[in-house]
Amino acid sequence: MSELKPIFNALWRSKTGALLLVVQIAVTLAIVSNAAFIIHDRVTFLNQDTGLKDENLFRFNLYTFGKNVDIGQQQEVDETLLRAIPGVADAVVINQVPLSGSGDSTSFHLKPTPEQSRGARASFFMADEHLLNTLDVKLEDGRNFTAADVVYSEGFEKSASVVLVTRSHLLDLFPEGDGLGKTIYLGDNPFQVIGIIAPMKGPWLDDEQADNVALIPQVMAAPFKRVLVRTEPGRRDEVMQQVEKLLLASESERVVSRITGVDKLVLEQTSQDRLMKNMLLVLITVLLLVTALGICGLALFNVGRRTRQIGTRRALGAKKSDIVRYFLLENTLVSLFGIVLGVGLALAMSDVLMRHYSLPSLDNWFILYSLAGIYLMGLVAVYWPAQRATQISPSIATRSV
Amino acid sequence: MLTMTNISKVYRSEMVQTHALRDFNLQVNEGEFIAVTGPSGSGKTTFLNIAGMLETYTSGTYQLDDVDVGRLSDNGRAELRNQKIGFIFQGFNLIPDLNLYENVEVPLRYRGIKAAERKRRIERCLEQVGLGARAKHLPAQLSGGQQQRVAIARALAGEPRFLLADEPTGNLDSLMARQVMELLENINKDGATIIMVTHDPELARRAERNIQVVDGQICDFKLYQGGLEKQRAGAEA
Repeated sequence: MSELKPIFNALWRSKTGALLLVVQIAVTLAIVSNAAFIIHDRVTFLNQDTGLKDENLFRFNLYTFGKNVDIGQQQEVDETLLRAIPGVADAVVINQVPLSGSGDSTSFHLKPTPEQSRGARASFFMADEHLLNTLDVKLEDGRNFTAADVVYSEGFEKSASVVLVTRSHLLDLFPEGDGLGKTIYLGDNPFQVIGIIAPMKGPWLDDEQADNVALIPQVMAAPFKRVLVRTEPGRRDEVMQQVEKLLLASESERVVSRITGVDKLVLEQTSQDRLMKNMLLVLITVLLLVTALGICGLALFNVGRRTRQIGTRRALGAKKSDIVRYFLLENTLVSLFGIVLGVGLALAMSDVLMRHYSLPSLDNWFILYSLAGIYLMGLVAVYWPAQRATQISPSIATRSV
Repeated sequence: MLTMTNISKVYRSEMVQTHALRDFNLQVNEGEFIAVTGPSGSGKTTFLNIAGMLETYTSGTYQLDDVDVGRLSDNGRAELRNQKIGFIFQGFNLIPDLNLYENVEVPLRYRGIKAAERKRRIERCLEQVGLGARAKHLPAQLSGGQQQRVAIARALAGEPRFLLADEPTGNLDSLMARQVMELLENINKDGATIIMVTHDPELARRAERNIQVVDGQICDFKLYQGGLEKQRAGAEA
């Protein structure tokens, strides 16, 4: 440590450049640690397990305008047609599409309205007994729907009486974990929980209750329908190309639209997050590069300014390694002050982001990783100028002033 | 103590080849005070640089205290330089950002001397050159003569057997020059061997031995009267 004292003294006596670098390192640390934390947050969000094999799923809209078409009957025909296409694993008419970024959620309660009781919000998907198979989600406990459970209706005049839920949703309603077989209420309609399905996401990835999902065996006959199809792996494109032609051949007074892979819907839903992640990555890279150049530049400037001094040190017995060590220690000192200041700035910045932009509080590990990274980057940046300094001959000490 | 045999130094550039030293032979004994004179460009500084291991030579052999310098690595030369040689430069070469104490401390740190011992030596050497009270001053706050005395203190702090002085009074007025010269003579009396490059014939006369370098070779070898008297006085003692 005693070696640092004269280096510190020397820095202090010509401090302008060093102080600017301290500020630059501090600002870099503050921005990099917060940006890295946000990137990590976004990457975790983007890489979350949806519970669905979205690359095998696609959806489309079906709007029937023919006034003489029996919607309910045609729906059965359509489903039979779709399920018969080679490469299709299963298909259902569904009220909303998972991972699509748009849809509905509702609150289930332990007692019927208007009684006050514990409630939990969940996304709900309504389709026939093929729903679980179409989603390709495992049943963890209890039983699946049967055809007998499915209720066909024009609207909400009738209601199904059973429901499948994710464990996350059931635990919100029954924290003791004894919800299977119990009855829950949607408004005043009772639903018996007959099974627990493996975790899956609802329509929104960024929903606070994205893991709360309920599957209801009910099909509503309406001119506008959404259809979800699961294909065998690798056969989705081939199936997607056949759908429109096949359905219109069966009934022409309708429109098939938005035939889209569910993975594409996920990409659309997360485009802002990916953009933010990429922009922050660019920002961090540029910032680190500029800081590295700043460190390298100051060290090069110092080598130039101290040519005679370095020669004199060599003449007085400094080895090349001593010269490298001097510059590394000098950079360590500057980095140390920058880091101390930067930690304070990073925490302050996190506080502002938390209060004004509802971001989670900065994890201290990110400050630690960032400061370690910036310090190491500084050592790398200063190494080349330090190596150049070792090339200064000690004989320069005897050259004329 | 110092033996140079047929030392040559050739500087090569793309177009020109310059012989700075040719077949340079010299034997320096312990405790001698030698003045090296000669016209500009004669090879004095090159000789001093090679003697101080600040640069390598092209051919010949150089032995310092029975160590063949030519066989040493860059690190080996730095170590030997640090342990055996003290330098006094014409431009003082103090480090402007360090105070006097820290300047004198520089070679001691490279030798790995412990803090307490460093302190003892630095205080003693600064006292010896009359600047003990100014240890916390920066070089810029001192006159040229005082700066050169700090440089001498820095050279002495390592307790070298050899003191190499390159025009030590070149940047000083006559009064300061006389003071510095007296200081060097006292150091020599204390046992250090001194080789001093100078243009000043007055200073050269005060040395025991004068070597004149012309065109990279020793062309004259004189024992000056002052030196003779000094030797006689030593013999009589």
